[in-house]
Amino acid sequence: MSRIKNKLLARIITRFPGLVDVEKMAGRIEPITVGESVGVEGVPWTPVTKPLSESKVALVTTSGVHLKSQKPYDMVDPDGDPTYRAMPGDTTLDDYMITHDYYDHTDAERDINVVLPVTRLAELVEEGVLGSVAPVNYSCMGHITGEHVETLMRDAAPEIARSLVAEGVDVVILTPG
Amino acid sequence: MRKVTEDVGAPRSVFLHWPLGHPMGEPGNIEQQTTVLLSALRALVEITVPGTIVDLPFRWRRYEDLSNGFDI
Repeated sequence: MSRIKNKLLARIITRFPGLVDVEKMAGRIEPITVGESVGVEGVPWTPVTKPLSESKVALVTTSGVHLKSQKPYDMVDPDGDPTYRAMPGDTTLDDYMITHDYYDHTDAERDINVVLPVTRLAELVEEGVLGSVAPVNYSCMGHITGEHVETLMRDAAPEIARSLVAEGVDVVILTPG
Repeated sequence: MRKVTEDVGAPRSVFLHWPLGHPMGEPGNIEQQTTVLLSALRALVEITVPGTIVDLPFRWRRYEDLSNGFDI
């Protein structure tokens, strides 16, 4: 029942984002913590050292995308799921799916490029704008609260970063859900 | 939603006043998705101050105009 409520609220708020404040004040959207952020200090900075036309580009998304063959994100835990999924860059579009009750992904399911622009990236490589696509893209689900925030920051995020470095990635584009 | 982008502290960001779940735009709109992607890549090259957010000027026209009251 809770999942149905979350999905319904996600659909409404996707179309009318201004309602987030109203609903929050009314205490009606406790499970949806849009606007709540974890304090982070400082902004990391890595200078661009090579032209885009020679760069290997990866995608990291918090939109809950994963392969149909992978374990779906946990939608029962109200604090979300702090794990991540590694998705091969050459995955066929039909092999992606989305598990995320906290935003309306109807459009993204029609065209995964709405949240994970794999086809657009490949086109830019084909045109010579970018050097190459990374062998692996990564996903999380963006609704993380409570103690899972620390797990995400301590485990999942550094693991993803280390993998991207090991895979020789020069540029990472992050997309939210 | 822009506040979330600010709070994240990403080195370089582009922000769109579009509905949740549509960071690249509309399904099947190749031109729009490519424009957003190229804008992000341009920001990568042009931004020199860490934490800069570029507000892209593209308006959402698909269904009701969400530009009013979208800053939350």
